[in-house]
Amino acid sequence: MSDAVTTSASAPRSAGTPRSAWAPRSAWAGFAQAGRHGRPQGEAGVHLTLREGVGLATVIAADGQEASLGRILTDRLGWSLPEIGAAHLVGEQGLIWSGPGQWLAIAETRAGLHGLAQALHGVAAVTDQSDARALVRVSGPDARRALSKGVAIDLHPRAFRAGQVAITAIAHVGAQIWQRDEAPSYDLAVARSFAGSVWTWLSHACAEFGCAVNREPER
Amino acid sequence: MSTITLRRAEADSPPVPTGRPQAFRTATGGLIDRRRPLDFSFDGTRYAGFEGDTLASALLANGVRLVGRSFKYHRPRGILSAGSEEPNALVELRAGARREPNTRATVAELYEGLEARSQNRWPSLRYDALAVNALAAPIFAAGFYYKTFMWPAAFWEKLYEPMIRRAAGLGRAADAPDPDTYDRAHAFCDVLVIGGGPAGLSAALAAGRSGARVILVDEDHRLGGRLLAERREIGSRSGADWARETVAELASLPEVTILSRTTLFGVYDHGAYGAVERVSDHLAVPAAHAPRQRLWRITARRAVLAAGAIERPHVFGGNDRPGVMLAGAVRTYLNRFGVLPGQRVAIFTSGDDGWRTASDVAAAGGQVVAVIDARACVPPGLRRAAEALGARVIAGGYVSGTKGHLALKAIEVVDTYGSSETIACDCLAMANGWNPIVHLDSHLSRRPVWDAAIHAFVPGALPSGMVAVGAAGGRLTLAACLETGSRAGAEMAAACGFTAAPRDAPGTDPESTEHTPLWRVARSRGKAFVDFQNDVAASDVELAHREGFRAVEHLKRYTTLGMATDQGKTSNLAGLGIMAELTGQALPSVGTTVFRPPFTPVAIGAFAGHHRGKDFRATRQVPSRAWCAEQGAVFVETGLWLRPAYFPKAGEADWLESVNREVNTVRSHVGVCDVTTLGKIDIQGRDALAFIERVCANPFGTLPVGKARYAVLLREDGFVMDDGTVARMGETHFVMTASTANAAKVMQHLEFCHQWLWPDLDVQMVSVSEQWAQYAVAGPRARDTLRSIVDEGFDIGNEAFPFLACAEVTVGGGIPARLFRISFSGELAYELAVPAAYGDAAWRAIMQAGSTHGITAYGSEALSVMRIEKGHAAGAEINGQTTARDLGLGGMLAKKKDYVGRLMKERPALTDPDRPILVGFRPVDRGARLRAGAHFLAVGAAPSLAADEGVMTSVAYSPSLGHWIGLGLLRRGPERHGERVRAYDPVRGGDIEVEICSPVFVDPKEEKLRV
Repeated sequence: MSDAVTTSASAPRSAGTPRSAWAPRSAWAGFAQAGRHGRPQGEAGVHLTLREGVGLATVIAADGQEASLGRILTDRLGWSLPEIGAAHLVGEQGLIWSGPGQWLAIAETRAGLHGLAQALHGVAAVTDQSDARALVRVSGPDARRALSKGVAIDLHPRAFRAGQVAITAIAHVGAQIWQRDEAPSYDLAVARSFAGSVWTWLSHACAEFGCAVNREPER
Repeated sequence: MSTITLRRAEADSPPVPTGRPQAFRTATGGLIDRRRPLDFSFDGTRYAGFEGDTLASALLANGVRLVGRSFKYHRPRGILSAGSEEPNALVELRAGARREPNTRATVAELYEGLEARSQNRWPSLRYDALAVNALAAPIFAAGFYYKTFMWPAAFWEKLYEPMIRRAAGLGRAADAPDPDTYDRAHAFCDVLVIGGGPAGLSAALAAGRSGARVILVDEDHRLGGRLLAERREIGSRSGADWARETVAELASLPEVTILSRTTLFGVYDHGAYGAVERVSDHLAVPAAHAPRQRLWRITARRAVLAAGAIERPHVFGGNDRPGVMLAGAVRTYLNRFGVLPGQRVAIFTSGDDGWRTASDVAAAGGQVVAVIDARACVPPGLRRAAEALGARVIAGGYVSGTKGHLALKAIEVVDTYGSSETIACDCLAMANGWNPIVHLDSHLSRRPVWDAAIHAFVPGALPSGMVAVGAAGGRLTLAACLETGSRAGAEMAAACGFTAAPRDAPGTDPESTEHTPLWRVARSRGKAFVDFQNDVAASDVELAHREGFRAVEHLKRYTTLGMATDQGKTSNLAGLGIMAELTGQALPSVGTTVFRPPFTPVAIGAFAGHHRGKDFRATRQVPSRAWCAEQGAVFVETGLWLRPAYFPKAGEADWLESVNREVNTVRSHVGVCDVTTLGKIDIQGRDALAFIERVCANPFGTLPVGKARYAVLLREDGFVMDDGTVARMGETHFVMTASTANAAKVMQHLEFCHQWLWPDLDVQMVSVSEQWAQYAVAGPRARDTLRSIVDEGFDIGNEAFPFLACAEVTVGGGIPARLFRISFSGELAYELAVPAAYGDAAWRAIMQAGSTHGITAYGSEALSVMRIEKGHAAGAEINGQTTARDLGLGGMLAKKKDYVGRLMKERPALTDPDRPILVGFRPVDRGARLRAGAHFLAVGAAPSLAADEGVMTSVAYSPSLGHWIGLGLLRRGPERHGERVRAYDPVRGGDIEVEICSPVFVDPKEEKLRV
């Protein structure tokens, strides 16, 4: 699916793709370390996967263009526009509701969203946010308990399920959180500059359950 | 002798083992584990107890009666209760950094090695020098410090208050930082059940069986409430067994959460509740990675209040003598802990309930010496049963006094004919009725109401969604607890959409709660205490009455009745009862004070949770952080941001030397500064330009694609809100910057303007502050430095890319970036924005590229010096009280368009020619230092508000000029260049003459910008 955006938007695949010697630095660099943390005994209750290099873009419908936006997304990309509080993801890409008339487009790589702006020209403003967020996937049997220490929303399966998103705060930092599956696993996005503080909180919150931190493999 | 010597002496003396271990422990019985003995120490003496004990039960098992000294009179005090209402048995628990004062021994679970000390005594618990206070009791009566320490006023702070604080203490806090961690958590449920006694367990079971999400909270580590303390039967098994079975079923229900060792301390609006879980307080030290306590914020759709009731003491002379206890507590120690609180027990009751104590004492092997009932008429069955145990029965009598120095030896009893006698006993059990716990339901300012049937306040109008059951609802019998609990649990679950029906409550053994309260024994000998913890006696209530402090709120403040850490749990009603008697009113007409959270004290650490020390609030880190930290940069907090302030180099004496070097290097060569903290807003849409025209006060209609312009935003009221830049990246695509401090406010303002003022405009905006790392590269060699950063094919020369140009470029071999030719320093300068992940690489590349051009990194200090040298207004000038005209920006405001603040800025006061306007200042004596905050006065004028002509807003040492310079707002400033005024700074003793000049100190013709 990640090819769909570029091919249907008929943008050159290489456009803007860094061939640079400059190395990107993870939002979590200097804060998070891969490995086992907190309680050392038994299975880790929480798994934290640092998500790197993910493509993100804000999509805001132009005045009165929401219907057209939905149509174009469906026709060209096979995506559907999520209703309030929903995340429509196929694999690792799709759209996540972010506010009235506003969505976060997500793809596995930065390149995955190249061409989106062009495809939506005239019906939506597309703004690259790939570097604006620090992303971490929180999963494992104690994921809910760990998150409940900072998130003031009800994550019980009767209240919040896979495919749902909330814009809330975690440990006093603005956050967007969407549930990926019923395992459960959640993706947590915070503003990049807050990564250090959020990490300090997250590792403290997970310590009693035992916590396994790993990085996503390079793509 | 100093307290320091004393502490050392305490620490040096090794704990002494006692003679007969646990002499007051019964042979069998109790919910303790006799196979698990535990060692503990109290005041340095070693004792033994069992797992399942509290510190109080273990002390009583060892015959320790005296556990503390009272707050004001230093009277010997023992253990009154067996629960969280305890006013007397407050100890310092643990040692060193974990020492916690005012811990109630009655709820402190025993653990191996527990260490406790009595408090508020000197030099020892048995010989307390300050017990002389009791001799001076008349001067310590209610309101004593209002009367005694009135004069001279200066003595209060220096002498009286420290003296009183030393004498009237409640233990010592730890003097080292708390080594433990605390946690916070949020929980949600359909039905919250507060209290795990018979009513709460029934409610939780009825609700839980329906499939509703239930949270059951109880402060004890073992659920069952009074069922653990009484010998009761439920459905042909013991109450304790019924509780155990019920808890087992609850634990098997997947949607039921049991939080034991958890006190629900507060009720808040919209179904929010606060609770504190003592995760590790029953252990010597928390397990690795476990918090000491956890604060829960519970949101519940419905709540069942089943918090139970608290027994009332009798008010009579010497009722505070160690050995005088609540009757229910006596039964708790007997039945739950297998401890005889005394060998010879007397009972003083005013209702049927107290008589239950007699058979429990006898069953445990103690002797019941007497039962004194204040009622003349006693049910014959009770009398016969007590007499069968060999007890004297005195109906219509009362206890008038107690004997014994540090522990009870005898009581004085007056019978119904007025003749008195002395009865030897070592324990007196008081039963004076029960008060439903109305604390939680009155947290939302709802007042309890008087229930004449049980002679107590019961919940009035309850907070929405809450119902009170069992004793907390004024239904004191066990049968009623089971029945009301089960019914409420089912109803609350049904209200949440679950199918639930109450089941028939199992049968219980019969009981009677007949009771006629006795508010005090009027003719008693010695001090009769109402509030044990605050040492408020019946005589203090009389004094308050005599002196006119009769309203309940006055009574409370004047006597401090109910104001101690126990919030008057055992004392409030007696105080009100006595006041009712004195004023000849019925008790409900006297009224009651209401309770506030927390129900019991909560450690501040629990509220803070993770957020203490450096984690008190979040910090934001700049993209160049790693390099800056490697270079030893000094960081400064700017709001939540940590910005590099300056970069000290070896050999530099102080910050000023470093900053001067940074400024000089930028002005002569090149420097780079992380300006990522600026707010960046992406604005797109067909009407983007129209929108910008309306929110900015200066004109933008002529701004071509590829150009940036300075922007001023006004508030609706005409004052300046912020300044920044707007760059036109495309026909309908703009990027606006805002100052670091106002980034969020400007974003909010723009969204407000779009959503409420002009929703018809087709404009889309989003913050991109976090997306882009942005670096200012400034100085004559800035272009030379950037040439090797910006990819070939982009011409950044002066002709192709002049001052105020902007463009999308690529850097470092294909990385998308934005370049702006804007300058805050007054030098040839660019701001380069790169995707934040490449911020670190870009910074290092710039430093590398600039090394041949003599580059320096510069921080926010040098940035500030250079903006003052250039006369640019910043936060100190754009302070919410200045107009564009005040800041010298009046000339750039648009004449031909409408914009936010246009009309309001024309108000007469804002256009007054006498308003202070931005100008520059230099000291007449060039060696003098300027101070921001100094006020301007005419030379020779006496300092007064009327003579005030303005204020110095920003100062800096200018390395370019070699002396201090300042910016300030001065009345008619621009007309007065060359004049001298006084800069008067009484706060720091500054008073110098300064010369008024142009605010632009460096390169006033702006030649350096455009090269």
